[in-house]
Amino acid sequence: MSGAVETAGRAREIGERATTGISRGPRLALLGILAICQRAYLTLWRQPVLIISTMLFPVIYLAVLGNALNRQLENVPIAVVDEAGNSLAAECRRAVLALESGRNLVVAAFPADREQALADLRTGRYRAVWVLPHGLSAAGPAPAFIGDNTDRFSYSTVESALSDIWTEATGVRRFATAETRLEAYPYLDYLTYLGPAVVCLAIFMGSMVAGGLQVIEDRMYGYHEGYLVTPVSTGAIVTGHMLAGTLVAGLAGSFVLLAIMLFTPLPMTTPEALGGGLVTVFLTALAITGLWFLLFSRARKTSALRGMFGIINVLVFFPSGALYPVESYPKWLKVVSDVDPLTYGVSALRDLLLRGAPLKSCYSEWLVLLTFSLVCGVLTQVLFRREV
Amino acid sequence: MTVSPIQAEKLTRKFGDTIADDAVTFEVRQGEIYGLLGPNGAGKTTLVRMLTTLLHPTSGTARVAGHDVVREKGDVRASIGTVSQAETTDENLTVRENLSVQGKMYGLWGRDLSQRIERRLTQVGLWEKKNQLTKTLSGGMRRRLEIARGVLHSPHILFLDEPTTGLDPQSRRAVWEMLGELKSRDASLAIVLTTHAMDEANYLCDRVAIMDRGRILCEDAPEALKRSLPTGEHVEIETDREIETRDKESIVALGAVNWRSPSRTSVQFEARPGEGIGRRAAQLVEERGYEIRHLSISPVTLEDVFFAYTGRALREETVG
Repeated sequence: MSGAVETAGRAREIGERATTGISRGPRLALLGILAICQRAYLTLWRQPVLIISTMLFPVIYLAVLGNALNRQLENVPIAVVDEAGNSLAAECRRAVLALESGRNLVVAAFPADREQALADLRTGRYRAVWVLPHGLSAAGPAPAFIGDNTDRFSYSTVESALSDIWTEATGVRRFATAETRLEAYPYLDYLTYLGPAVVCLAIFMGSMVAGGLQVIEDRMYGYHEGYLVTPVSTGAIVTGHMLAGTLVAGLAGSFVLLAIMLFTPLPMTTPEALGGGLVTVFLTALAITGLWFLLFSRARKTSALRGMFGIINVLVFFPSGALYPVESYPKWLKVVSDVDPLTYGVSALRDLLLRGAPLKSCYSEWLVLLTFSLVCGVLTQVLFRREV
Repeated sequence: MTVSPIQAEKLTRKFGDTIADDAVTFEVRQGEIYGLLGPNGAGKTTLVRMLTTLLHPTSGTARVAGHDVVREKGDVRASIGTVSQAETTDENLTVRENLSVQGKMYGLWGRDLSQRIERRLTQVGLWEKKNQLTKTLSGGMRRRLEIARGVLHSPHILFLDEPTTGLDPQSRRAVWEMLGELKSRDASLAIVLTTHAMDEANYLCDRVAIMDRGRILCEDAPEALKRSLPTGEHVEIETDREIETRDKESIVALGAVNWRSPSRTSVQFEARPGEGIGRRAAQLVEERGYEIRHLSISPVTLEDVFFAYTGRALREETVG
């Protein structure tokens, strides 16, 4: 290379270098945030396992939990001991057989010996024993119900079915029933009720991967060093990570949202519900990603997250009202639920998707989610290590 | 007036009771390749981390491109490029995507960024592989990508922390040649590299500092360091008959030390480098009527310098 060309080349290098010196400030911050998001987005599509686990897991969850909790009881083994032998007892037995063949709730046996039936109850052969005593009549004596109360759910279901039979047979109403019953919203089965919860679970899983795990792994494997030595400010790096996590978690949530809107009998599938739902999904994703990032802002090893995952899952997902109504919680759990951002995501999604509420009813929830995210972001920035 | 790329004054870093770097003072001049040579745990990486704002010094000061590494971190970061031991490229991104992400972190964008990516990838010989996923690259290619990443924004100073550790000989050679190429394109670029490979320091560095236990033991051009040793040139002469005591004394008088006779007809000794003692000894032996069967004069290596300063004993490694 001749001297002149070399000098020209050198001048060009130095000229280019000067341009890097001035590109600081807001432009650099924006480009830094963009870079971190670009990487998160590209990585997402190259790791199908992660996509599957963040999006498929909630759907499987819905399918298993929804069906496990929602299905009618079937084939509960019970014993009916007829000691009365009168016509009223016969009517009761017929009704039990009808229950067996109709609703399929019970499988009835009719042993003659009460003691044997009770012994079998204790060994688990029967879940309940219904004794129709001597002289059974509407005025008394009434049937005796002895149930296996280790399982309260089948206990109360069978008990109420059998007492209905008795009521029917004797024509005596034990309780006055309300004349009018109104359902404010269209019929919902539990599976549909779980829909918003599943969207939130997808967000929760997605933000754990993209907001917690990914950041720790970056730090563990050294990718972070590549960020830390650049002139991009710490605030921009933290914001970038939060938005990158939000992008991934929000996409996961959005896909699940679309899926349940398409495939479950969700009452509200208006564009308004969809739009509001997507806003809720991304705001929830931002808040939960912020939480994950804050919790693990100083963690150096993924084992920290692995160890804490169960606890965080229990503390964030379950109190959110995703599976059971918040109103059923004891006071202390209500407090947890009140500070849990997922509560607001679940609540806003239920309003939009199940009740068809107008968007403005979600503003307060959105505000809470946004505030929560900001607080997490600021705290994370304070805690974030710029050193290795 | 040009600012010197690096000026470190009594830079110290402690980890608890362990002193990783103990009042290290040194200067790197514009356009030079400066090598920090030392065994594991000598404090090289810690030193580089302090200079690249990744660690806070316990005491002392350092200016990089004229900016204080504690008070003006942003300016320091804008003027340096780093290639660390860690892999800072994402294996799930393609070669080009990695540089695209990294370039933005330096405020590069658009056509400027894509032109730089093309030029740097061409320089490191990876342009053909631009759309390949990074995880499919070999170790040597991956390291070259790291280097392309480090110089993408044309820094004033490039830090290389053990750039060829773990690479096969061909890949090492390729990295060396690449660094030479980078230097030839940008004469004012200063490069600081840490290594424990003597041949690497010898081949690449204009000046070398030998570090051990957190201190710089000596610092000079590799040749000057070698010359400064009192011994180190290894001479081995095999003759047709045993060298007589009288002749041995003549050779010793020339400056031969550490005389050994592994067998009856062969002798080994060391001499001060750069004084031609080996050659003159051989001449003397021939003049005295011996026939030389075998002669070897091994020049002193940086390794000899290294061992002369750090000792040969194996020590417990300390992290730092």
